Amino acid sequence: MDPILTTNVLNVVYEVSTLAVVVLGLAVVFGLLGVMNLAHGEFVMIGAYCAFFVQAHDLPFLAAVPLALLVCGFLGLVVERVLVRPLYARPFDTLLATWGLGMLLREAVEAVYGRGFRSVATPLTGSVEVLGADYPAYRLLLTLVSVALVAGLVWWFVRSATGRRIRAVVNNPELAASVGIPVTALARNTFVFGCGLAALSGVMLAPLLPVNPTLGLDFILKSFFVLVVGGLGSLVGLISGSGVIGGVESVVSAVSDRTWGYTTVLVIAILFLWLRPNGLFPRT
Amino acid sequence: MSGSLLSFAGVTGGYGATTVVRGVGGAVAAGEACCVLGRNGVGKTTLMRLLTGHLPLQSGTVDFAGRSLDGLAPDRRHRLGLVYCPQERPVFDNLSVRDNLGLMEPFDAHRHAPLLAAFPILEARMDQSAGTLSGGERKILSFVRGVAETGQLLLLDEPSEGVQQENVERMAGFLHEAKAAGRALLVVEQNLAFAREIADRVMVMDHGAVVLAGAAADITEDTLAAHMHV
Amino acid sequence: MASFLAHSAALVAALAVLPHLVGEFWAYTLALYFLYAIAALGVGLCWGQAGLLPLGQAMFFGLAAYLSGLSLIHFRDSWLLLLLLPGAALAPGLLAWGIGLLVFRGRTLTGPFFAMITLALTLLAFQIANSWNDVTGGFNGLKNIPGLPGLGDFIDLYYVSAAALAACVLGIAWLRRAPAGILWRAVAQNEQRVRFCGFAVQNAKAAVFGISGALAGIGGALYAPQQSLVTPQLCGFILSADLVIWAAVGGRSTLYGPVAGAVLIGILTADLRDEISYWEVILAAIFIVVVLYFRQGLMGFVEPWFERLWRRPAGRGRDGPDRPVAPSEAGFALDDIRVRMGSVSILEGLDLAVDRPGIYCLIGPNGAGKTSCFNAMTGEMPVRGGQIRIFGRDRAGATADSLSRIGVGRKFQAPSLFPEFTVAENFNIGLWGGRARLPDLLRMRSHSWSSAILREAQTRFPFLADEDRRAGDLSHGQRQILELVMVLIAEPRLILLDEPSAGLSQAETREVIEAIRWVGGRLDACTVIVEHDMTFVRELADRVFVLHQGRLLASGTVAEIQADERVRAVYVGASA
Repeated sequence: MDPILTTNVLNVVYEVSTLAVVVLGLAVVFGLLGVMNLAHGEFVMIGAYCAFFVQAHDLPFLAAVPLALLVCGFLGLVVERVLVRPLYARPFDTLLATWGLGMLLREAVEAVYGRGFRSVATPLTGSVEVLGADYPAYRLLLTLVSVALVAGLVWWFVRSATGRRIRAVVNNPELAASVGIPVTALARNTFVFGCGLAALSGVMLAPLLPVNPTLGLDFILKSFFVLVVGGLGSLVGLISGSGVIGGVESVVSAVSDRTWGYTTVLVIAILFLWLRPNGLFPRT
Repeated sequence: MSGSLLSFAGVTGGYGATTVVRGVGGAVAAGEACCVLGRNGVGKTTLMRLLTGHLPLQSGTVDFAGRSLDGLAPDRRHRLGLVYCPQERPVFDNLSVRDNLGLMEPFDAHRHAPLLAAFPILEARMDQSAGTLSGGERKILSFVRGVAETGQLLLLDEPSEGVQQENVERMAGFLHEAKAAGRALLVVEQNLAFAREIADRVMVMDHGAVVLAGAAADITEDTLAAHMHV
Repeated sequence: MASFLAHSAALVAALAVLPHLVGEFWAYTLALYFLYAIAALGVGLCWGQAGLLPLGQAMFFGLAAYLSGLSLIHFRDSWLLLLLLPGAALAPGLLAWGIGLLVFRGRTLTGPFFAMITLALTLLAFQIANSWNDVTGGFNGLKNIPGLPGLGDFIDLYYVSAAALAACVLGIAWLRRAPAGILWRAVAQNEQRVRFCGFAVQNAKAAVFGISGALAGIGGALYAPQQSLVTPQLCGFILSADLVIWAAVGGRSTLYGPVAGAVLIGILTADLRDEISYWEVILAAIFIVVVLYFRQGLMGFVEPWFERLWRRPAGRGRDGPDRPVAPSEAGFALDDIRVRMGSVSILEGLDLAVDRPGIYCLIGPNGAGKTSCFNAMTGEMPVRGGQIRIFGRDRAGATADSLSRIGVGRKFQAPSLFPEFTVAENFNIGLWGGRARLPDLLRMRSHSWSSAILREAQTRFPFLADEDRRAGDLSHGQRQILELVMVLIAEPRLILLDEPSAGLSQAETREVIEAIRWVGGRLDACTVIVEHDMTFVRELADRVFVLHQGRLLASGTVAEIQADERVRAVYVGASA
């Protein structure tokens, strides 16, 4: 295979799989709670800053994982209790409140670290030869980890008792409470879990991104577009949505430039929002 | 009423500011079945939702096994022993029949065996998603789920709706067994024959209130029909 | 009217005096925030009145700024500016209106989707502004834009901004009071009811979004000459977000809230950003608290007090215009109607026809398709086969609002009205439906329209005469009757009532029965009632239709139906 083509294909896979991890947290929370957490991107951003923090204190890169999970898990716990739970009956206000929260987190991080770009050193340097193309080792690892993470979570979601209960609540919340599922606790745990997933992806992506306070904005928009394109119904929707948004962006960016990639994604998102707001695989 | 497992008085509530159920009282003792009858739209399902905690009481009291259920969420009431099979959307459509039955405790073939043997239609579809079942089959699945649970009070909202006659008869058989085992039943029904078969006591509702209540044996079919239908 | 003039005079006087009190520097700063305030007014109108959150208003602000900047650069001393500058302000309004027409056409797009479309559009606008170097100057933007001809110092700039702000505030004050404003608030409360009162909701939404776009345009068009610099950030996400925050914190549904928000927060931010490093964090926290606990914002504490000063005197005057000529042919005919939802068949070849005035009852067990029959007739459910004729014409695919305008009224099972409104406002929406033309929706006089049916209803149900009560405070039974009267004052010839006695006490049921009997005769209409209560049916029905499993099972008089063995079988239980 042509090395350039291989590289591009790997780029697309990388883009799609990492995006899917970010969206997964958002989608699980939305599916279960009906809450579109517009601060989801800021949890990714905080995860990335955790990686920066760890590096600045000369700790091993992997130490960022527990740190980010702890920080974002705790934040998620507080946010669920203070912001999300009181607003269950007012989904539109949840949108605004989490948006405000995103702003608060952005500004707070900016107040501490400033607006400038920070870079996190790649923990795994060098490149690996894949089908005749040299591909950065860390990117490859990240792609593999992302695919494994999504696959593992999906497997867990389908097979575990908790996964079944979450699906039960999504399908029929009233009946779920009737059969004894502690819906409130499950909702809290799911929200915290979603925040943790965002934090984890933030850590993973930190070495490849210019770490800055507005980093989350891009992610939340793209994630939202993934949900819009894929539909909120299913895993197939999530993966195809990530495929369309991540794929189109990386392909157009490769052919033209990043501006055009981004513009194309915006246009696709607008068309879907307008003409097919339930996405490719609507919830039944 | 002493000795009642469930007793409620002055139950009033509805949706938002709308009051649908007005001052309804009643009781069910262990080993006894009480049927709630009445035409559509008189508040039977709303009463069930008020008792199970899915709707807040505007006023009134609900006591179960000697304690007040006031303010308890539905899942807490379930843990105390209220088993509820709702009228609409009675199963999880996106889960398999097996997962519907084994959602809270692992599916136990032994516990479910007699029920599944009686309703082979379910046994044949254990691994299909419940969304593929017909309306009547879903009601049977919901019924099996409820009866197999261990809670002391069964609240069934129109269990026979859309269910074939021979299966309705089997349901009645299991409900008799449940009564014999000391469980209490509160059943909303429109099928008079089924209601008469299982009921020890009857409550007829109209316009959100109880218009007739008493021992099932004392109430004639004509009296019931006059309150309900054509 | 007098109170409106007093309000105008007070506002103009305050704005005229202000620069003398605060000095030239602050006047200049205020001039800028007045422009933002005009855009924020648009957010308040769109979001606080019609319930549509625009997350991308900066796109319109920026577009106008670019247009006006380019006009000033290229036609500096030309008379063309007299056309181009107003054009720059209006173009975003037209764009917003066009977007609104496209987006709202043919469906009820839920709020978050609309918000997200506007957000994505503003991001797109930023991309275009940022990369279209030849026209917009790219990242650096348009520089050295000349000022408005003939204006010199900061105070002049202040007066231009202040005049624009005053004009916009007063215009919106008028709109909010006018029937149009009532309709927007009605859409936010209960869109379905507005449609069933005969209003094309999509046009109302497009109009409010268009006006909000024009307001952003006015702000943007004046921004370019005032600041002499236009950069892509003006189209961007941050300004869009700021406008929403200002409107929210100031009070999105109040008149002065967005202005207060823009001016206060804007100036505080400009002043404190450098002194308090956590200022933006504090601001975000304030925003969250407002969203959680104080949805009315700052002005929510103040404005209700002022509102009382210029309350519309209650009371009704002359009758509104007559409804357009009533259809000559009464009744309807459904022929082999088929409706499916997903894989479930709901109506399977329903035939139902009514050809002369009277009261008809539709009965049948749960799931027989009674409500679906109404939904199919009023365009609420897609019909997959069969023919629907109403008043002698084929109405397949007709929308609820168009049917309402030709004389089809529908009452829903749960009372569907406007709980936040007074009884008077609820009546007015019913009265305007099918009668009011566009100019009527801008006239205050339309508030005091009356009608013979309304007067009769108020005599019959005295509680309806107290028109200042909030509809949401009425009892369930009273709300059922209020909705019924709202449907009736539109003088429909085909009246569809879905379980009008549901949830009513015996006494209330009696009142509803009387009301239906009165109106059926009064309007010479076909009344079709879905009902379960056989006492009710026995009292009212000239003829009964029994539906079962999506088909017509039987029809006839009450006695005939009661004698019908098939009907008995269906009712006593399919299994018994």
